[in-house]
Amino acid sequence: MYNFNLFFIFPYLDSLQWAIWNTLQISVTATFLSIIFGVLMALVRLSNYKYLRLCGVCYVEVVRNMPMVVLLYLIFFGLPSFGIVLSGYISGLTALTMNSTAFMTEIFRSGFMAVSKGQFEAARAQGMTNTQLYRFIILPQVFRISYASLGNQIIGVIMGSSIMMIATIEEVTAWMFNTGSINFRYFEVFFVGGLVYFVLCQTVNLVRNALGKIIFKTAAAGGPW
Amino acid sequence: MILIDYSFLLIRGLGITLWISWVALLLAALIGALIGLGRTSKRWSIRFLTGVYAEFFRSIPVLVTLFFVYYGLTLLTGINLSTFVAATIALALEGSAMMSEVVRGGLQSIAKGQREAALSTGMKAWQVELFIVWPQAIRVMIPPAVGVYVSTLKASSLASVIGYVELTKTGLLIRESVRGHSGSLLILVVIATIYVIINFAISRLGAMLEERNNFVN
Repeated sequence: MYNFNLFFIFPYLDSLQWAIWNTLQISVTATFLSIIFGVLMALVRLSNYKYLRLCGVCYVEVVRNMPMVVLLYLIFFGLPSFGIVLSGYISGLTALTMNSTAFMTEIFRSGFMAVSKGQFEAARAQGMTNTQLYRFIILPQVFRISYASLGNQIIGVIMGSSIMMIATIEEVTAWMFNTGSINFRYFEVFFVGGLVYFVLCQTVNLVRNALGKIIFKTAAAGGPW
Repeated sequence: MILIDYSFLLIRGLGITLWISWVALLLAALIGALIGLGRTSKRWSIRFLTGVYAEFFRSIPVLVTLFFVYYGLTLLTGINLSTFVAATIALALEGSAMMSEVVRGGLQSIAKGQREAALSTGMKAWQVELFIVWPQAIRVMIPPAVGVYVSTLKASSLASVIGYVELTKTGLLIRESVRGHSGSLLILVVIATIYVIINFAISRLGAMLEERNNFVN
């Protein structure tokens, strides 16, 4: 019978701390970048130019339907054929960001589509410039509509960051794997690692709900208001 | 001309990928149906436990579940799981959490009046579920279930990490054997293209089903 004893984890807590830091760092960076790119790509997908729209659709469909591991291999192993050699961290970050951008694009696109056309027209009629229109009228509404799905996608990014161990990034999954292969206490290691992911994801969940109540003065889910 | 030389292996890899994700999806549907039923239960204790199950697997990455099943379960039970069994169990566990959401959504989409009407005509509780609720609910569940299949298929590529030779691993192995060759990049692009085509086709199918349902409703 397996003897479950968390004591065996104690010597590795120091490296765990760094692993959590790495996971957080890459997740936050990827989330941040993919939100920016996602908004831009959503605008591309809704653009007036047919070919630009087509590019947007192609990007989203290709990246969304490709496993992130394969995308990572393409960047990590494939790009050097063109003489572009990226470090593990950069290729991991690129894969995570590209993947997340595709999903963010869809989230923001449905957000933009939910904002009624009258809003654009009314703002234009007020004499607002395009920048003002998006900054003050459209984006706040899009953000509000997309808020709930945004939280889910952030959780998706945290989960996706586990794949970064393939790109030799020392994050929590890599910690689990390495520590397990040193002390063979796989059960404890996975217990602790799983707990870390669970806590991270549920924290995002709770913060989303709490923040949603503060920002929107209603339940977290965006929707008709 | 590497592609022609290795086309047989690639097709085999694709078959294995489709097969493992299909088996995992069936298992996930079974577990997910039970969990989903539990989440619509009247007893709060059952709702709580099944809710924790779903939340748990929704916030644990597939790779972690995979390692846990492959290394952890082997230690716990002393049974040496093959990579196929380990990958199937891990994918099924992850899929079941998603499936439980699908089932719950489907069951909740059926108007309360349907149940009440069926009960008042003298049907027994199981008859109501079997003949009234589920036939309607399944139609609502199928399009999102197709989405679960696509994500299971994508997640099955992670089985390559524990050394199960499916499509991704096949590609990596071919890449190893043609190392230095110009086909090294080509093979990765081919693998990616296969995934995109398959997943795109399946998602289109799901969208078609959804449209047809909307039409019927």
